Amino acid sequence: MSDALLAIEDLSKAYGGVQALGKVSLGIRTGEVHALCGENGAGKSTLIKCLTGVVKPDAGTISVSGKLLETGDVRLAEAAGIAVIHQESTSFPDLDAVDNLFVGREVKKGLLLDRAAMEKQAVVALGRLGLQLEVGRPLRSFTVAHRQMVEMARALLRDCRLLIMDEPTASLSARETEILLDLVKGLRADGVSVLYVSHRLEEVFALADRVTVLRDGQLVATSAIDAIDHAGLIKQMVGREVDALTRHGSHEGSTQQPCLEVRGLGSSGLFEDISLTVHRGEILGLGGLVGAGRSEVARAIFGVDAYQHGAVLVGGRQLEGGSVRAAMKAGIALVPEDRQHEGLVLPMPISENLTMAALPELSRFGLIDSREESKLVSELVARLSVRTGDPDLPVESLSGGNQQKVVLGKWLANRPDLLILDEPTRGVDVGAKAEIHRLIRELAAQGTATLVISSDLPELLAISDRILVMEGGRIRGELDGTRATQEEVLRLALPAGEASRRAARGNTREVSAS
Amino acid sequence: MRALAILIRNREAGLLLLIGILTLAASLVDPSFVAANWLDILINSVPALIIACGVMLVIVCGEIDISVGSLLGVLAAMLGLLCSTSAPGMGLHPWLGIAVVLAAGGVVGLCTGCLVVFGRVPSIIVTLGLLIALDGAQDWMIGGGDIKNFPSQLRWLGTGGRVPVDLCIAAGVVFATWIVCNRMAMGRRIYALGSNPASARLAGISEARTKLFAFTVTGLLTGLAAILWVAKFGNVSTSTGVGLELKVVTCVVVGGVAITGGRGRLAGVVLAVILITMIRTVLNFMDLGPEAVKWQRAIEGAMILLAVVTDHFGQRDGRAKGGLSG
Repeated sequence: MSDALLAIEDLSKAYGGVQALGKVSLGIRTGEVHALCGENGAGKSTLIKCLTGVVKPDAGTISVSGKLLETGDVRLAEAAGIAVIHQESTSFPDLDAVDNLFVGREVKKGLLLDRAAMEKQAVVALGRLGLQLEVGRPLRSFTVAHRQMVEMARALLRDCRLLIMDEPTASLSARETEILLDLVKGLRADGVSVLYVSHRLEEVFALADRVTVLRDGQLVATSAIDAIDHAGLIKQMVGREVDALTRHGSHEGSTQQPCLEVRGLGSSGLFEDISLTVHRGEILGLGGLVGAGRSEVARAIFGVDAYQHGAVLVGGRQLEGGSVRAAMKAGIALVPEDRQHEGLVLPMPISENLTMAALPELSRFGLIDSREESKLVSELVARLSVRTGDPDLPVESLSGGNQQKVVLGKWLANRPDLLILDEPTRGVDVGAKAEIHRLIRELAAQGTATLVISSDLPELLAISDRILVMEGGRIRGELDGTRATQEEVLRLALPAGEASRRAARGNTREVSAS
Repeated sequence: MRALAILIRNREAGLLLLIGILTLAASLVDPSFVAANWLDILINSVPALIIACGVMLVIVCGEIDISVGSLLGVLAAMLGLLCSTSAPGMGLHPWLGIAVVLAAGGVVGLCTGCLVVFGRVPSIIVTLGLLIALDGAQDWMIGGGDIKNFPSQLRWLGTGGRVPVDLCIAAGVVFATWIVCNRMAMGRRIYALGSNPASARLAGISEARTKLFAFTVTGLLTGLAAILWVAKFGNVSTSTGVGLELKVVTCVVVGGVAITGGRGRLAGVVLAVILITMIRTVLNFMDLGPEAVKWQRAIEGAMILLAVVTDHFGQRDGRAKGGLSG
């Protein structure tokens, strides 16, 4: 067994009344990939912030190679060899690759920067990751994957001994993910320790040597990866047996009354000949690979973008194209994929976000009835089981899964006839996912027609009554949601030709099967 | 179309082209225009050029300073009260006055920075308040008439030299700023902070130190510009420096610095200062009388909008140049 690099003892941190971390102890060995799992809000981010010195813990110690690290100081943590790659890219888009690698720790000749030396070192550091990039180009012109790798190179340049990776593959394609996972393995071989945070359990099992689970700020267990399986890990994370992927089963609320009818919808270059019907109380899944044109269809239906051919009918009446107002008036609601930017007003309180779509019902003569409002808010918070101490806190104080619940709650409040959900559980943990699925079903049972776009195959199969699969801007087939298999969906979703090739390689990661 | 795309992406090329067109147009009206005016245009650019170097740093790190015009007025008045040889001047030695004015400029900049960094007051509000307060102070300091009669050593800074002294000083300031932006860690940190403040903090960059630096430099440079202003005109009135802040911010934005921070090059700012000074000179030269003033403002306004719009397209293009390649 290799020796311990990092030892965390009884680390505690409270925010207001909420105990984000309670006496967590954890050891990381030299040259191991240590996975950190837990639901959103379990305390993973707080732990990372303590390790990197962004946040000062209330109690407990962190030591690196047996030496006590003074907490709450970014520079000291960095000097001790702790580096972090965040979920959102923390690079500087306007600076070039060299400056990104060295900012904060520039190589200097006297007072001036030694650009030549930095360029040379940059090329070497990127080369170590197998990258050949034009180091003089601003980072905004690189792909997300390359930016992330530049960040890894930055960590390496700083003689990093513990690299913390927070959901590093969240925005990467399947191929890029593979490359990144290989890089992590390479780092481990070089003796760098990696603390790997991910919701994608298959990555955890593919990569980690040991896995630690946090729940509600408490340490649940640290186990060797061979000593635990998928179900066991999920059980540890959630604290109960969760079968997030149970089939919908019967068509509880599904009726034969059409709510939305789309006839021959086409928009040049994006999609063509899209015809579909969603009935009241039905959940229609729209599957396919990223880029198949699903979101574009949703945007066209909701009137965000105009279309050239076809018609959209709601309740039998044709909807004016290209008008969000008309779509909303007809009772359509769209929960976009990018919830942070389009679905929520982050600095505003949870309560105000929840009631935003219901304001007309809550107000009389333009004045908001605040008693009605708070009643609705407490009802929704309870119904959604949003984990918050106070609904008047800003939405941004919530974890990702809870934010997504608020987005859904917004529409629960005003009961749309047709709800369009674009990737409703992307980046959301297992527990919150199950709750979101329950909410979607609840809405459907009340008669809402629902169109769900999802790249998450188990999710698609679990909640859909029927599934349409798109590829290359066209609908390639319809499946019965209660009987379809992942393989059937994939076969329709993959472009012809590629399907067989992929099947041979057994690579289905692009349609993430978490 | 390709040429247009290049001009949109490369702000310096676009500005040079505009300067060229303007020169050509003025020469068509009067072939002697260039020979007669080029030095004047450069000399007239000096105050805005010097201050723009500081304001550019402030804007790149994600803040703004709109108090520089009023600050210049107050510092000029201060220099007048200290060094003017006639009442109400105290007739102190010019070097003493210069030192006091530079120090005062730096201190005001530092205080502005402190309010922004530690007081968490948005810089637009801090400097707006400062603008109004300093305006009042300037009127109060100058009182009735203008302040005149400055010692010849001081005047030499603005009027002497085979190559004009103030122009040399401005060139020195531009060079030093270029070094800071392109060859020093501080410059790199200013860009990083404006580009992505959250990440900058994680990279161990001190927001306070960086922003205080930018604001203090701006104050210092405004002091320097005030000294050269007095040296050149030998006269301080209540209208000294009025509207200069707008000219400076205009130049910085037209020069291609993103008002949201993180992006922009010094070369663009220098060219923009020259271009905008040139527009004023050409309009004067064409002798449009009071009409000229209206035109000047309309043209400057249009240029700001153009700058912002092209910047937007450049960014959407995903290939807008970073701030550091020269």
